[in-house]
Amino acid sequence: MAEEKRILYEHLDVPDINTFDVFRQYDGYTRFEKAIAEYQPEDIAKMVMDSGLKGRGGAGFSTGLKWSFVPKDIKPCYLCCNADESEPGTFSNRYVLEKNPHLLIEGILICCYAMGIETTYVYIRGEFTLGKKMLDAAIKEAYEKGYLGKDVRGTGLNIDIYTHPGAGAYICGEETGLIESLEGKRGQPRNKPPFPAVEGVFGKPTVVQNVETLCNLPFIVGNGVEWYTQMGPTYADTRSDPPTPDPNTGTKLYCISGDVNEPGVYELELGLTSTELIEVAGGLRGEEVKAVIPGGSSAPILTHYELDTRLDFTSLTLAKSMLGSGGIIVMNETRNIVDCLLNIMKFYAHESCGQCTPCRWGTPWVRDIVQRIADGNGRKSTITRPKFGVAENGRWGDTGETEEIYEDLDLLESVANNIANVDTMTWNTICVFGIAVSWPAVSYMRKFRPEFEAAIREGKLVTLSVAEATVPPEENYAYQQRFVPKEFADL
Amino acid sequence: MSDELIQIETPFAFNEENQRAFDALIGRYPVKEAAMLPTLHLAQRQAGYITPAVMKYVAEQLEVSVMKVKDVVTFYPMFFEEPVGEYVIRVCHTLPCALQDCQVVLEHLKEKLGTDVASETNLAKGTTADSKFTLMKVECLASCDVAPVIMINDDLYKNLTPEKVDEILDNL
Repeated sequence: MAEEKRILYEHLDVPDINTFDVFRQYDGYTRFEKAIAEYQPEDIAKMVMDSGLKGRGGAGFSTGLKWSFVPKDIKPCYLCCNADESEPGTFSNRYVLEKNPHLLIEGILICCYAMGIETTYVYIRGEFTLGKKMLDAAIKEAYEKGYLGKDVRGTGLNIDIYTHPGAGAYICGEETGLIESLEGKRGQPRNKPPFPAVEGVFGKPTVVQNVETLCNLPFIVGNGVEWYTQMGPTYADTRSDPPTPDPNTGTKLYCISGDVNEPGVYELELGLTSTELIEVAGGLRGEEVKAVIPGGSSAPILTHYELDTRLDFTSLTLAKSMLGSGGIIVMNETRNIVDCLLNIMKFYAHESCGQCTPCRWGTPWVRDIVQRIADGNGRKSTITRPKFGVAENGRWGDTGETEEIYEDLDLLESVANNIANVDTMTWNTICVFGIAVSWPAVSYMRKFRPEFEAAIREGKLVTLSVAEATVPPEENYAYQQRFVPKEFADL
Repeated sequence: MSDELIQIETPFAFNEENQRAFDALIGRYPVKEAAMLPTLHLAQRQAGYITPAVMKYVAEQLEVSVMKVKDVVTFYPMFFEEPVGEYVIRVCHTLPCALQDCQVVLEHLKEKLGTDVASETNLAKGTTADSKFTLMKVECLASCDVAPVIMINDDLYKNLTPEKVDEILDNL
């Protein structure tokens, strides 16, 4: 059985770790002190690049690379810490904020030092009242102890951290939506480019990082790049010759919920499979796994055929899904996929920011189609259309065969693909919310088509057995060609 | 929103404590407008909900048009433009909570409070006659491991069953 490897969460359950003194006993702020004493800012940026740390917020973009896009000559530069954790199935940041806020502050300090940043805004979702209270208290303590404010620890650095509450909009977790919201406007995402690294909040270069990404920094600095890269697999990107390393290093705070016996946050090295993860979380509640959502509700679903897919950034991308924020939702054989999709589509229809027409009108449309199917009013027709072949009279012509068309399923796919096309990966919207809607809509429907068809045919929700409900990979283009990525070390 | 409408409302101004908090806020941002969300949170805490008078006051403080404030207030679900009960009960109903039977909790609350679920455009529908409670559904509260969850004002309640809900409401 895979073992938990607690690094970010190591001292989470220590009593009073949220206070400066206790945090200090557990090496608190020593990593920041090491950074300012032993390294130049450029060295830190290089370490982060070499560590292969990927952004933990959803996109999985290389943090070091993101930092390298920030122009050095434009000041001020801002850091926005994204603590607007709203993706259904994700809840790891909440525990960091509520229990160990000083770790986040230390991560922010290291990032600020490396990038020459003086002002940080922590955008906390409005519902995290306790998290905000704890972080505010920790920030106050850090100011008192001289780790924040003017001339931090006698280094001449001026670093300020401010918390900024959100107000319940999911879209503010998107980096440009977050920036708009921080500027006091509606959280409607901006067109990219210009990317926030060049022109972000208040028109200045801005680094936007997730809480978990920032919390990794103290450990990279404290224990070194070599120690960090030993965790998690590094794959070979064979698209280039010679192959380039594709690191999936470090640990991930996997949030596991749904039909498991012990739901919760488990910190494990990247690269274990769904089966292993379910085992770590106390095993499945129920008989059989029907489906696993690997990265929050916007990630395409995995069927029981794909339980051996490793849950890391590269493997899941190859499986036409994503690790996203690491919110894993497990469903057992009693769950109805149509019902689950309806729930998710209601969420997206509610959370669309209303800026782009395909998303504003498409999300309620998709929701209505799924609602219709779930209510038993799904549209189906038997049509006769010329099907050419050898007809009864032995001559070439119309064979007179009929075909059953599930109109609503075709419509569902068409509407979803017109918000964002999951096959070509192009979206008709400003931000990636579009793809977050069509990914689940299309993948659920393609992979569990028998269950959708049954609901339309029978006029009510029918929960089929796992084997009957799932389309096998051989028959379906929703799956990738399944090959296991080769580890870089093996080459 | 016309000026006449604003004038018939009771005027609004921050009390001393909130004024201090507001003064601290404004210094954090290079432009005043950026303090919009925290300022509205303060104002809503004081006034109960965002009245046209509140919007006018916030607009003056932040040196933006009233329309800009209205624009923001209508976008974010946490700002109310109608009166709400003393306790706002938010029931999470997104997938992980739905898998753990949040519907049972919601139905139980509806029955116990004798009210329907508020919609964003009609908060009165979910508010009890004595204005003590407002019941509403919200999207994911990021506590899926302890589902089903509800929030009552600022507090989160976990692993709910109808019995636990009874206990919580009795202790309020």
